[in-house]
Amino acid sequence: MKTTTTTLAWRQALLMIVILGMLGVTAFPIYWMLVTSTTSSADLFSTSPHLLPGLAQWHVFRDVFTSTDVGTWLLNSAIVAVGTTVLSLALAVLPAYALSRFKFAGIAIVGLALFVTQMLPEAMLVVPLYAIFGQLSLLNTLTGLILVNTAFTVPVITWILKGAIDGVPIDIEEAASIDGCSRLGTVFIVVIPLIAPTLAATAVIAFFHGWNEYVFAQTLVSAPELHTASVGLAGFVGELSTPLHSVMAIGLMYTLPAVFFYLLVQRYVVAGMTAGSVKG
Amino acid sequence: MSSISLKNVTKTFGAKTVLGNIHVDVPAGEFLVLLGPSGCGKSTLLRMLAGLETVSGGEIHLGQRRVDTLPPSARDMAFVFQSYALYPHMTVRRNITFPLIMRKFRWWFHIPVLGHLAKRRIESSPEVRELVDRTAKILSLTEMMDRHPRTLSGGQRQRVALGRAMVRQPEVFLMDEPLSNLDAKLRSSMRAEIIKLHRDLGGTFVYVTHDQIEAMTMGTRIVLMHAGEAQQIGTPREIYTNPANTFVARFIGTPAMNLVHARIDGGRLAIGELRMPLPAHLGVRGASSGAEVLVGVRPNALAIGTDPAQPGMAGTVALVEHVGAESIVTVRLDTARTAHDRDDGVGDEIMVTQAGYSTLQAGDEVRVSLDLTQAVLFSAESGRRISNDIPLPTEAPHAAPGFSTQH
Repeated sequence: MKTTTTTLAWRQALLMIVILGMLGVTAFPIYWMLVTSTTSSADLFSTSPHLLPGLAQWHVFRDVFTSTDVGTWLLNSAIVAVGTTVLSLALAVLPAYALSRFKFAGIAIVGLALFVTQMLPEAMLVVPLYAIFGQLSLLNTLTGLILVNTAFTVPVITWILKGAIDGVPIDIEEAASIDGCSRLGTVFIVVIPLIAPTLAATAVIAFFHGWNEYVFAQTLVSAPELHTASVGLAGFVGELSTPLHSVMAIGLMYTLPAVFFYLLVQRYVVAGMTAGSVKG
Repeated sequence: MSSISLKNVTKTFGAKTVLGNIHVDVPAGEFLVLLGPSGCGKSTLLRMLAGLETVSGGEIHLGQRRVDTLPPSARDMAFVFQSYALYPHMTVRRNITFPLIMRKFRWWFHIPVLGHLAKRRIESSPEVRELVDRTAKILSLTEMMDRHPRTLSGGQRQRVALGRAMVRQPEVFLMDEPLSNLDAKLRSSMRAEIIKLHRDLGGTFVYVTHDQIEAMTMGTRIVLMHAGEAQQIGTPREIYTNPANTFVARFIGTPAMNLVHARIDGGRLAIGELRMPLPAHLGVRGASSGAEVLVGVRPNALAIGTDPAQPGMAGTVALVEHVGAESIVTVRLDTARTAHDRDDGVGDEIMVTQAGYSTLQAGDEVRVSLDLTQAVLFSAESGRRISNDIPLPTEAPHAAPGFSTQH
């Protein structure tokens, strides 16, 4: 008995060490950004690197706000990311429901077509999209960026949501239809609450896509006041010099909101929502 | 409360006919049970009544109203699912209130905050609250109104499903094997609860089951189905005592009715080497001497004796099962032939029930005598019931005859 308990304790300890190790690997880049941003340029290239953030250098965060438009960039990124998330989910739910519940001719082709869109690299689409957006007066607008990001996320999200809707027992929908729910009502009142964890997960995917996207943000938008943080950050990389601590400070500010968004949403990403509904 | 009328209802999936020409009239207030083995089409028929399956042919009427073209929500029928189908994200109270909210639902209820407020307003209105609380009280759910389905036991979930059906006060209750997921003890108590519910609410019930005990104890009338056709429609007593064909005879009753091959020999019945005078009620109109028939006799209408001089079918005891109040004795017949084989192909065995603890043992030579006053006859060719009133059929054999509901 004692041996079993001891073995269990060792196992727990080992597991904890592995988890801490993985956490370290994941979190270290963020920590290193903090350290680098608060290290003076002179010390950055010294032979003995600083391992702790330099408290004397905190002003770098204030400085980047005064010397650059980082506030605007972050705001633009947030608008694009939130817009992409909302629009992607809104556009993907009904097709996902249709793919899951309706049997119609060509359903396999529709499913395949969604995948095909994912095979084309973004860079290849820049030129034709530039021409199309020019015609539609969408160049130099955040709306344009939201639309183009949404076009990339909707197929993926549709497939993920289809899988989740497949998992909702059809009996529940039939019960709702007998209780007086319309088809659309069933989707909104019954199906969507039941796939909330998957919706949260897909929201994370859409948000990160919108937040991180660079190629279209760089090419379809040229006005400096509409730059997103990814473009703004890249602008620091100069031909002659790159102010590393400013880049890292902005990088940190660029990373943290995304981390917070994930933490906000992740508590909804829990399984077992349909437990207790139907037997088995 | 309304009557239901199914007029020549059929269901086909592609070229396959799963339900053929079902014709049933269910008077208002009746507890109709659709009974049959798996895959006989009973659940499909119930789902067609509810509007969850389309009707391929025929008509369904609820009272004077034709409903088979209406969506499920417009039929005023409540449905209790085998799987309960509760809304997992809603509390017990919301689950039960849901049909009442849907009754007053407007499109703008989909607007996030506004819709939420409107729904809560309906939920807390005195008449809705009173109705829901009363339903909960009947089903002993009052203590768990704020819990979610996942925290309830199977029996409690089934009661919530019943509550959700009751609260609508519908014309018709449809139930699809609602007790099949419960353990034996709970099943018998829920059975009693549903019978009481039917008595108190007085609605028209249509209940699907494969369990003959449920059918016999709950139903005021039974439709026994097999291979997509109604084999017999009648009260539990009629179906038990006057089975319309050999399928019904073997399906109802445990152990199943014995079917022994016999020949009509003048005024006598020849079973193996045994000759018995044919009782008046078994007199077969139109049966010539030599006609092959099946004698259907329930295990409790047979008697076993060990005296070789006793008239009866000679045989050997193959198995004795003691089931408490009675013993079930399986006898392998020497010369008489049965119409049913065991799953392993061994035939010519009949079952006899004896009161109390039988002293017989496997291998004993016995005589089985039958009480023909409790027997029924079937055509050996078609399997249909024959008697003075029902002549031996002359048309081609038909495995699944249609029966009228008029009695």
